[in-house]
Amino acid sequence: MFKKKVTLKILVLLIASDLLETTVHFFFKKSALSQGSSSVLDLASALVFLKGVLASPFLWAALFTVVLIFIIWSTVLAKIDLSVAVPIASFSYILVPVVSVIFLHEHITILRWGGILLILAGVILVSISSKERIVPVK
Amino acid sequence: MKEGLLVVLFLIALTSLCDTINQLFLKSAINSLNFTPTFSITNIFKFIFQLILKPRLWLGFVFSAVSLCIWLVVLSKADLNFAFSADSMHYIFIALASRLILKEKFSSLRWLGTGLIVLGIIIISFT
Repeated sequence: MFKKKVTLKILVLLIASDLLETTVHFFFKKSALSQGSSSVLDLASALVFLKGVLASPFLWAALFTVVLIFIIWSTVLAKIDLSVAVPIASFSYILVPVVSVIFLHEHITILRWGGILLILAGVILVSISSKERIVPVK
Repeated sequence: MKEGLLVVLFLIALTSLCDTINQLFLKSAINSLNFTPTFSITNIFKFIFQLILKPRLWLGFVFSAVSLCIWLVVLSKADLNFAFSADSMHYIFIALASRLILKEKFSSLRWLGTGLIVLGIIIISFT
């Protein structure tokens, strides 16, 4: 029996994971920006850069959030199929660019939004095409 | 195409590749447990405990850590919206690895989805 029934609780968890996922990437970007405009050109400068990033609280906030998302997903996947969960959780593909525009002042052209939508459509198709092994539902 | 775009794309490909290798190790570690999923708390803890004893899992974690380091370098060079969208190329690597290494069967829907992702990445790279 496939687990397809999305209850309100699961929907809330998935939306929370969307928002947290977006937060993770925002935090990672902030931790990278914390190193100013130091440009990474070779392995030596990369190590200096990474050492600096390691001291950024944003990096640790991001890693903490990753653990939180992992816990949410373990709960969600025990209740519904991946093929149902992933499309709902894919909206970070829209949320991350939106956050990039609002909080990081990045510029996104119409054409790039088109590309982003294609990627989102692709991710959704890939996930609904997943044929999972039939697992007994408790 | 902006200057340095190829470097950024190469680095994103590298982090996606490391992610894929991590996933393959994880999948291989899980497969070797012959675990039948029943979702009770005790079973899940037993499963995780058996899993962390697998050296393959830790090998996967090493690739995961390398992937994170490269990702941070990418973010120092590229806009978040571009890097995040382009990172979806791990779907391409996972598809290839699943097909070629794990010999999984794919539906045409999955090929179509993977194709759309490729097309999307090409478009965002040129804008």
